[in-house]
Amino acid sequence: MTFLLLVLGFCAGLLGALTGIGGGVLLTPILSLYFGVPIREAIGTSLVAVITTSAASSSIHLQRHTTDIRLGMTLELATALGAGVMAYLVGYFNRNFLEGLFAAFLLYSAIMILSKGGKVKPEDESSPDVNADVVIPPYEPKRYLLGLSASLVAGALSGLLGIGGGPIKVPVMFIFMEVPLMVATATSNFMIGVTAAASAMVYYRRGDILVQVAAPLAVGVFVGSLLGARMAPRIHTKIVVYLLVGVMFYLAGHLTLHLLKGLL
Amino acid sequence: MSQLREPAFDRAVALVLRIGAFGCFFVMLAGLIDGWFMTGRIPSDIERAGVLLMLATPVVRVIVACFLFFREKDYKYGWISLGVLIILLLGSVFGIGEH
Repeated sequence: MTFLLLVLGFCAGLLGALTGIGGGVLLTPILSLYFGVPIREAIGTSLVAVITTSAASSSIHLQRHTTDIRLGMTLELATALGAGVMAYLVGYFNRNFLEGLFAAFLLYSAIMILSKGGKVKPEDESSPDVNADVVIPPYEPKRYLLGLSASLVAGALSGLLGIGGGPIKVPVMFIFMEVPLMVATATSNFMIGVTAAASAMVYYRRGDILVQVAAPLAVGVFVGSLLGARMAPRIHTKIVVYLLVGVMFYLAGHLTLHLLKGLL
Repeated sequence: MSQLREPAFDRAVALVLRIGAFGCFFVMLAGLIDGWFMTGRIPSDIERAGVLLMLATPVVRVIVACFLFFREKDYKYGWISLGVLIILLLGSVFGIGEH
């Protein structure tokens, strides 16, 4: 089983780095459906993989100086609070409810990606050269209140489903706070680590992180995301994204069936 | 005005994250190799240490940023970082809710 978990982590990390869609959204349902991990433990365990991915990739973004640490830290006040409180509440949630919620979220994400024509990653993201001098126009983040409120929701979703929440944070920073897209992406990535850690600690204290599952998973994710980051410029991302969407639909369907079987 | 472009600050924070990620990777790998030679695997202390190291990395990142902000006399963001740190630590204290 350890070997399969290594492979699973590797694939999730690779796909995540290639497409910009974090691995958490795939890991939780796969752990729960095929590895017999109860949904709440699956969420807690995949949070560890989410932190690993964030730490590895955001150290690369930081080297390119595209991360707005001040903005990230400010919004983290809200994401960490939302994530911590929600992670605490999850302890009182019905497991079937969690499974249904996750299936709905998978379906929603897959449809959102399709409606955007398979574009999930800003073009400038694919620049492979770490030392390339990126020119960012001067900017001043606007509408902090809106940004903080959205971050609270993103954090709560992260604590609820064990995901990073990038698809919420990036558009909020880019559209409402008028932060350049490249900075929004890097800063979102930067925030994911703290957001996931805020909920992961609550899950850990409750015993909802299965160490023997999390370790091989994180090792696989780490190697997969490093390799994916290197391969990203040479791969036709669109094909990979459609593959991912297919997997998401399949998992949502299977999760729903599993849920119905449990209820009947 | 842009809030970006403070290479030394970025490098310090990136270093924390890289040490955490690589450290966690090697600790967990050691745990896995250790576990490979035992049948009927139980979660080893080494793997648990790896998971805890991963959970601690973002916390250390906030502590380092907080320290750097205060050293730069950027009190506003120093206090904000301290706030994030407190929220993070509260999460580890109130980690209950089992039923």
